[in-house]
Amino acid sequence: MKKFVFLLIGAGYIATGCNKSLLDSKPQDRYLESTFWVSAEAANAGLVGCYSILRANGVYGAAANSSLPLFEETASPNAYNYGNTQGYNSIANGQQTPATGGVIQNRWAACYGGIGRCNTFLAKIDNVEAIDDATKERMKGEARFLRALYYNMLQVHYGDVPLILDPPDPETQSDLARTERAKVVERILIDLDSAALVLPLKQSAANRGRATKGAALGLKARVLLFEASPLFNKDNDINKWKAAADAAKAVMDMAGSAGYKLFTGGYRQLFMPANENNSEVLFDVQYMFPDQGSAFDLIAKQYNSNAPLLDLANAYHMKNGLPITDPASGYDPAKPFENRDPRFYGHIVYPGDRFMDETVTASRFALTGFGGKKFSIYDREAPPAGQGDLKDGQSETNFIVLRYADILLMYAEAQNEFAGPDQSVYDAINAVRERVEMPVIENKTQDELRAIIRHERRVEFAGEALHYNDIRRWKTAEIVLNAEIKNWEGDVLEIRKFNPNRDYWWPIPQTQRDLNPNLEQNPNY
Amino acid sequence: MKAKIQRLRVVQLAMACLAVALLTATSLQAQQVTTKGKIVSAKDGSPLPGVTVQVAGTTQGVTTGSDGSFSIDAPAGSKLVISYVGYIDKELKVTGANAGTVELNEDTKTMNSVVVVGYGTQKKVNLTGSISTVNMLDKEGQPITNVSNALHGTPGLFVNLGNSQPGVDRATIRIRGVGTMNNSNPLVLVDGIEYSMDELNPNDIESITILKDASAAIYGSRGANGVILVTTKTGKGASKVNYSYYNGMQKPTRLPDAIWDPIVYMKLKNQAVLNSGKQQPDYSDAEIAEYEAGLKTDPIVYPSNNWFDIALGKGFIQKHDLSVSGSSDKGQYRLSLGYMDRDGILFGPGNHAKNYSLGLNASYNVNKKLKVGITLDGYYRSYTTPLYDDTWNYLFRTLPILTDQLADGRYGNSWLRTPGRNNWENPRMLAFNGYSHKYVQRFLATIFAEYKLPFDITYNIKFGADKYDGLRNQFTPRMQTFNPKTGAATNWNSPATAPRTAKTDENDLNIHFYNTLNWQRTFGGVHNLTAMVGGSYDRFSTDEYSATQTGYLDAQLVAINAGTIRNNITGAGLREDILESLFGRVTYDYDGKYLFEATFRRDGSGRFAPQNRWGSFPSASVGWRIDKESFFESNFINMAKLRFSVGKLGNQAVDLYSYEPTVVLGQDYSFGGTLHSGGAMTSYADPNIKWESTTTYNLGTDINMWNNRIALTVDLYKKRTTDILREVKLPDQVGNLNGPKKNVGTVDNTGIELTLAYRDHIGEVDYEFNGNIAYNKNKVVDLGGQILYNDGTNLSTITRAGIPMNSFYLLEAEGIFQSDDEVANSAFQSNATRAGYIKFKDQDKNNIINADDRIIVDASSIMPKYTFGFGFNVGYKGFTLSGFFQGVAGIKIYPTANLAFPFNNGANATWQWVTDAWTPENKNARLPIVTESTGSKDNFQPNTFWLQDGSYLRLKNVQLSYNVPSKWLSKVKISRVNVFVNAENWVTFTKYKDFDIESIVNASTLYHYPMLKTLSGGVNLTF
Repeated sequence: MKKFVFLLIGAGYIATGCNKSLLDSKPQDRYLESTFWVSAEAANAGLVGCYSILRANGVYGAAANSSLPLFEETASPNAYNYGNTQGYNSIANGQQTPATGGVIQNRWAACYGGIGRCNTFLAKIDNVEAIDDATKERMKGEARFLRALYYNMLQVHYGDVPLILDPPDPETQSDLARTERAKVVERILIDLDSAALVLPLKQSAANRGRATKGAALGLKARVLLFEASPLFNKDNDINKWKAAADAAKAVMDMAGSAGYKLFTGGYRQLFMPANENNSEVLFDVQYMFPDQGSAFDLIAKQYNSNAPLLDLANAYHMKNGLPITDPASGYDPAKPFENRDPRFYGHIVYPGDRFMDETVTASRFALTGFGGKKFSIYDREAPPAGQGDLKDGQSETNFIVLRYADILLMYAEAQNEFAGPDQSVYDAINAVRERVEMPVIENKTQDELRAIIRHERRVEFAGEALHYNDIRRWKTAEIVLNAEIKNWEGDVLEIRKFNPNRDYWWPIPQTQRDLNPNLEQNPNY
Repeated sequence: MKAKIQRLRVVQLAMACLAVALLTATSLQAQQVTTKGKIVSAKDGSPLPGVTVQVAGTTQGVTTGSDGSFSIDAPAGSKLVISYVGYIDKELKVTGANAGTVELNEDTKTMNSVVVVGYGTQKKVNLTGSISTVNMLDKEGQPITNVSNALHGTPGLFVNLGNSQPGVDRATIRIRGVGTMNNSNPLVLVDGIEYSMDELNPNDIESITILKDASAAIYGSRGANGVILVTTKTGKGASKVNYSYYNGMQKPTRLPDAIWDPIVYMKLKNQAVLNSGKQQPDYSDAEIAEYEAGLKTDPIVYPSNNWFDIALGKGFIQKHDLSVSGSSDKGQYRLSLGYMDRDGILFGPGNHAKNYSLGLNASYNVNKKLKVGITLDGYYRSYTTPLYDDTWNYLFRTLPILTDQLADGRYGNSWLRTPGRNNWENPRMLAFNGYSHKYVQRFLATIFAEYKLPFDITYNIKFGADKYDGLRNQFTPRMQTFNPKTGAATNWNSPATAPRTAKTDENDLNIHFYNTLNWQRTFGGVHNLTAMVGGSYDRFSTDEYSATQTGYLDAQLVAINAGTIRNNITGAGLREDILESLFGRVTYDYDGKYLFEATFRRDGSGRFAPQNRWGSFPSASVGWRIDKESFFESNFINMAKLRFSVGKLGNQAVDLYSYEPTVVLGQDYSFGGTLHSGGAMTSYADPNIKWESTTTYNLGTDINMWNNRIALTVDLYKKRTTDILREVKLPDQVGNLNGPKKNVGTVDNTGIELTLAYRDHIGEVDYEFNGNIAYNKNKVVDLGGQILYNDGTNLSTITRAGIPMNSFYLLEAEGIFQSDDEVANSAFQSNATRAGYIKFKDQDKNNIINADDRIIVDASSIMPKYTFGFGFNVGYKGFTLSGFFQGVAGIKIYPTANLAFPFNNGANATWQWVTDAWTPENKNARLPIVTESTGSKDNFQPNTFWLQDGSYLRLKNVQLSYNVPSKWLSKVKISRVNVFVNAENWVTFTKYKDFDIESIVNASTLYHYPMLKTLSGGVNLTF
């Protein structure tokens, strides 16, 4: 009997060998794509996934080794990244190659990651029945805004890029060649216009950080300003300047209803967490402790990987509005940092200054002698209790992508090019200057005003990741990046080089050309 | 005619008489005498029951009793032949005196032993597959910390130990090349159950069998990387107690020759910075002058620290093993306890390991038909690691100017601002503060039964439970370093997140069950037939989570509930991997002359979509004993066998649930200060994926010659892996998604293995040499048109059709630019290029050096072309001297970063940059001009200049042991005393001098736990 029992066990088991359900097992930490896009919660999470790319390395990533918003300055004469973080010093020195890693690779990858998510969202959202149509339209507007932002970041740096508007599909998208830049820009503008139609003027407190109509139109103004600028507008088509001016004007016209105005609580305070989402902010990237913090404070206090250069320090005029090179300015080389444009003190920490309640020595920031503090909570006084040593991922100051002062100066620049120095140009630029109590500008020629506006942009937005692209679009990079860079005492640190036939455009990453040989390289790489 | 007949009869009678007379005389001369004795195993002195003792040239014989004793009557002067399966025959002359204790040597080399194969055993003589065996008795006394480290030098195996940190020093094993871009680890089974061989006390292991060809096909979908069968020890013979002990001292084999002179360091760093194109040195002349003066008076502010001397010392290892074992006709048992204690070479408590093992192996013959048994292999291990994972990186970044401790014991940093060193990592601070403890409890418990059914059928059933519980406890206190000059403090870690406690727990339960029916019969005395069918079920379930808590008052209370702020909680949830299988085997041999074997397996795996779950894996093999043929007559060749095998094996190496596109969470973003949960697809999936399959062919021969003194084995093989599963990289423009795992690609591994053993004796000196060499050629046959760059490695490699997997892909260095004119007249490299820089070859002649100029170097970065090992063994009276060499050739290495390259992001450089770097005065230098490797990418972009030969030959182990003569021991009731000394990893021959060569194969950096050399000694006692 016993033996038959054994036999039965064995035979029984062998028979169960084909039982399919025994092999079934399901993941507990992720959804199946086929069943995900059903609930309102899922659709919302899908849209949040589109936003989360803003914090990715390559976009506005903000970890200690990927704080692109701060590092972007170091490819310009404003600042210096000694350690070549994210390849920025290679870019500053004209040594970037298709194989250079860092931002050149990461920006390409991350932006397409964001674009893919937006495309998926836009394709799936219509089938989610749990959401009403009005909400769907608003959500689609957000996704279109984000897609435009990601595409803009690509086209501005790489030029032609593959234009993909459908959800990721390897079969149809893997071998797409680069689309003409003009077509990409055209699509960006379509997305922004349609987003502006459905996005609200303001977001509620709980939704701060989501795209608004002003964000869409502000970004449109930036896109058009670039299109009008010398690098992109080779024939100097004057209508492009008009389009840019009109776009900026559209935002100025809606300032009243949307509540946009220059922040008046102090230039330095504009970049403090206490004043996040203030009246000047059109769009910012949200950081939050402890889950989604940045390293802005660590960099300002310690890493100094965005070290301001002497050229930037010298660019700030005296309080009286005169450049330090003007004998009448009152500039005293013995006390070089006295009586300067207040915005100097809003960003630059210099030897002899106070920082975190200590006197700054020349070796405090040994790379150039200067520290950059914009977007850090650290300032002259002692840091808030318990926040004296914020590390990577612990800072929560939002990074401002678009602010109203930028709209005003964009308008001034475009209008000056299109119509010459009319009163609206002076009004716009002086609004920005008066906020920091700098003397007003008046009675200038168009050329004089162009230089003034360019200078104004440099000092107003120092440390805000705008100057590198400004010198590119003005085509002045070949001058200012073919130069020595100096520390606070005037010692030459490096001699930068810039090849105008090559370096205005980033190379298409080698990894991408390896995977998709249809991607043509930019010239001279 | 009649007279003639009579004469003949007389002759016959006379002859018969003569014969009788002669015979009588002989028998009178050779009286029958009784010989008594006891047969024991030479290795451990254990009595051997069932040994045949036979009078030579007759059929007269006896077998030994359970205590190994025998008594036989034989003519004086005749010879007794003592033979036992698995042991070498011995002859005794019958002298009339008792034989006393006779030692038999185990036979691991010739063909008489029994070999463990999948779901059974086979006589080695009947094998038709390619199988290597390692007898752990041969490794007795060697300081083997993990079993995988005992396999160095096994034919056809590439064994590489990359990390020697106590507790995790496990070797990587590759059998006959790499045929997959996924998991290439062989399947390991312990007593028939899938288990990690490194979770066993090496002393509990009897033997290791490596199935290299189609013989692994019985394990189907997990057999493609080869199969390793570990057999644990059982009780044999009379009860005995064995105790063994060894104690050893360890040191690093080789460390980089870093610059520890602070002045030399600062000056060379300055030179490097300026050479890199920067205009300002890192250290001013004033600082250097101040330092030079201070060196004589204040070693704290102006240290001259050799951090390798400070941080690295001697390691110690000791091990105790105690076992009790025995067997009788009712069953067998073996109980064992083991204890190993290791303290590593790094200062501080961060490299200490303790292993406690417990083994039980018992079986009982309930009646003539039923046998039941149990095994238990239990391991409790705990080990510490440095709290910060990057500790070795930090140590390899230290500079001589880094102050160790201030006068009052506070940890120092440096008063000299050094770019790249924003927060000085003080190795002493990191080594002595906080902790990281890992506790592993792992048990493999099995029960089995064997029941004899009618018709010669045996039913076997085995159930195994493998429980793993691994807990890591970490506590990170606040740490600060202090400026030795000003005393100013710098927080090493953030006060916002330290102190903190982290706990990570992994819990696995793997259930295994199989049963087989075995049948065996001989027909007509020459037709031997066996058959086996079986089924199995394996379920692997894994669960893990980790939690971090902050908000501790200080470093006194460290429990997770003593903190106040939760910081990070992660865990992937329960994951289950299920495998169901059916399998069978048939063997047939005709009189041991013609051998045939076929196996079949069908596997179903939950890793694939339902329509692709099941796969079939057949194999067949044949053998021919040429020496048994009547036409074959040779006195020189004792045995000659030809064998051939072919089979299909699988690899299910694909992540769980990867056949379906999924949306993962954690893609979060905050609005209005509140975190919102986000989800997105981050990788693409192909629902049609299926098994990788490998078809393997093996042609082999075994030849024993010259009275079995020489044993030669040659195997030729070809393994073709098709449908290789791998992630197809998508261009980022496709949503920046990780590519889907797809069945693309075919890879071939072809090779030859040769082993040769020779043994003989000169007088009382027994000696033995054995050696093996294996050549493996790896080639990607097809990859669906894909080209993979840097696949699964940090090295610059390429994998595509027609070349070995992971071949180096580099710019070709042509030499060093000797002048700026030469730079100007050569292809453009970068605007930083100048005299002294490496010159690259412009392969496409377009006058610009870029990625298009890379060349494929015909050398895999992951697998050597040649592996070899050879050893010797010389015995005289009780002494044995044995040694073993092992090595690889035909592999290149490409170490980068700290100390491999100079001044990597604030790190140090090696002395060769002081002496051997290009300067305008030293143009024939070996190295280019000294630059920072981070600031100046030019010289350090992947190029052939830095590619180095990874070949080495190492005296892995040399051992001298002495068996104390038994006549001295009988009085104290000890049957065996063996004392030994070992030197391990003591001598290595290689071209690469910066670090231990073995430990950096396929690693892109130097900074990890160095390879250790060990000097140890101990004793082995049997009671």
